Amino acid sequence: MIETAGLTRKFGDVIAVEDLSFAVSEGEIVALLGPNGAGKTTTVRMLSCLIAPTAGRAWVGGYEVHQDPTAVRAIVGVLTETPGLYKRLSAQHNLRFFAELYGIPDPDRRIEKYLRFFGLWARRDEPVAAFSKGMRQKLALARALLHEPKILLLDEPTAGLDPESAKSVREFIAELKGEGRTILLCTHNLPEAERLCDRIVLLRTRLIAEGTPEELKRRLFGSRVVVELANPRPEIVEELRLPGVKSAEHSDGKLWVEVEDPRFVNPILVRRLVELGAEIISVREAETSLEDVYHELMEGDSAQD
Amino acid sequence: MHRIKTVLLREWAEAARIKMVLFSIVFLPLFMTGFATYLVWQGRSLPPQGQAVLLNTALIYFFVLPVVIPLSIAAYSIVGEKEQGTLEPLLATPIRDWELFLGKALAPVVPGLLLSWGAFGAFLLATWVILGAISAEVLSLPWLLSIFALAPLLALFAVFVTMIVSSRTTDTRAAYQFSSLAVLPALIPLIVYSARLTAVNLFFVGIEAGILLPLNVITFYIAVKLFHREEILTRWK
Repeated sequence: MIETAGLTRKFGDVIAVEDLSFAVSEGEIVALLGPNGAGKTTTVRMLSCLIAPTAGRAWVGGYEVHQDPTAVRAIVGVLTETPGLYKRLSAQHNLRFFAELYGIPDPDRRIEKYLRFFGLWARRDEPVAAFSKGMRQKLALARALLHEPKILLLDEPTAGLDPESAKSVREFIAELKGEGRTILLCTHNLPEAERLCDRIVLLRTRLIAEGTPEELKRRLFGSRVVVELANPRPEIVEELRLPGVKSAEHSDGKLWVEVEDPRFVNPILVRRLVELGAEIISVREAETSLEDVYHELMEGDSAQD
Repeated sequence: MHRIKTVLLREWAEAARIKMVLFSIVFLPLFMTGFATYLVWQGRSLPPQGQAVLLNTALIYFFVLPVVIPLSIAAYSIVGEKEQGTLEPLLATPIRDWELFLGKALAPVVPGLLLSWGAFGAFLLATWVILGAISAEVLSLPWLLSIFALAPLLALFAVFVTMIVSSRTTDTRAAYQFSSLAVLPALIPLIVYSARLTAVNLFFVGIEAGILLPLNVITFYIAVKLFHREEILTRWK
């Protein structure tokens, strides 16, 4: 549904996005992760035909962004970085304006559906200026969904929201996935990306890494086993050069052992530790978060620079 | 047409909620009508020739009104979008650049014309009450053409220029300043009338219309070319 090939955007001498190639399949949620200035918003703007690429190509819903910008805009729902609502107008008026621009038949029913869904129906006639940040974000989401697009480009959908509102927006995005929509989600929120997204595209001007969260974790950290000992001895790691053991270290009174395949290596490892006189309290797989992956990749990329 | 109308109605809805804009578009016609009526009142006992001079002077106000009234709405039109951060979601819709431009351009021109013509009607009524009749100086064809045909062309030209300047300006304050200058080219016929460089006759009205019509078409074409969504998004920071 979304594909980019060598997508590049420069602003004068500054390169915002460089040679970016990735794809999002139908019904997938993909997170575009990266620090500030990584080119996430620029990528979303290129995909929503707001700005043109300097080089490279992109296709959204089968349309090439440069050749069919109007067709792309008609099938994509965009949640911009800021809600961008007409504050003097009511929630209903804001949505009606966009419904008319998208040419939605029977807009009133559609507007009511989304205002009710987001709990804004009771306040539909109030000017948006009187709305809280969370309410504005919900209204902006309603606007992005109003024409029921198959493809959604969501730029920081939970940014600045209180935990309760952020949770309800996340739940809603998960529901959208259930409806088979394709979503590209820009976020700084790593747990959110991990929870919601099928795949991660890590970006810092250029593509740093791409894959499912599990793939990225395995690629970076392999499978790690944590062994808790009643009698920890740091020097024991020297005795763990076994087949299938990639590395071993002692930290915080525990052994951290990187293994190739835990199913085969763990029994050998436990046997060896017992032979060495270690008193084992527990053996478990180490948990790696997407945050660990993110920092590892970003640090690796900085080192390359 | 549907999207142009949608943009136009939204612009009006917003403008109607901004007290300063509302005040400026209501105050000017009231003031001009009052002042023109005062001139007629002052000259009520003058001989017909003297009254004609006064009426010609008064009519200039109704010629300039449609050009001046739209500027406050036109200047706010893009600046307001940028200030509220509404341009990006708007530009992400399937609206075409020329539809958005035309909707935004017509939004200030239409109320400007309607209010000006309403003010002109009120002035005619007041003149009839004061003088007991409406002079042929007021209802002459060149003047009527000036007010009902030339003024709309001038108003469109001023708004097109204002919007070109706005979309090419990097900062909102500069946009406001430049937009006030945009009215100057549109005031040339006004200066000619008020300086009595030429009589208000059909020939002069024809020449003006002959220049303004193609000029508006060219300006509209240039404006749409320049009113590029990427330019607006990346320049209007």
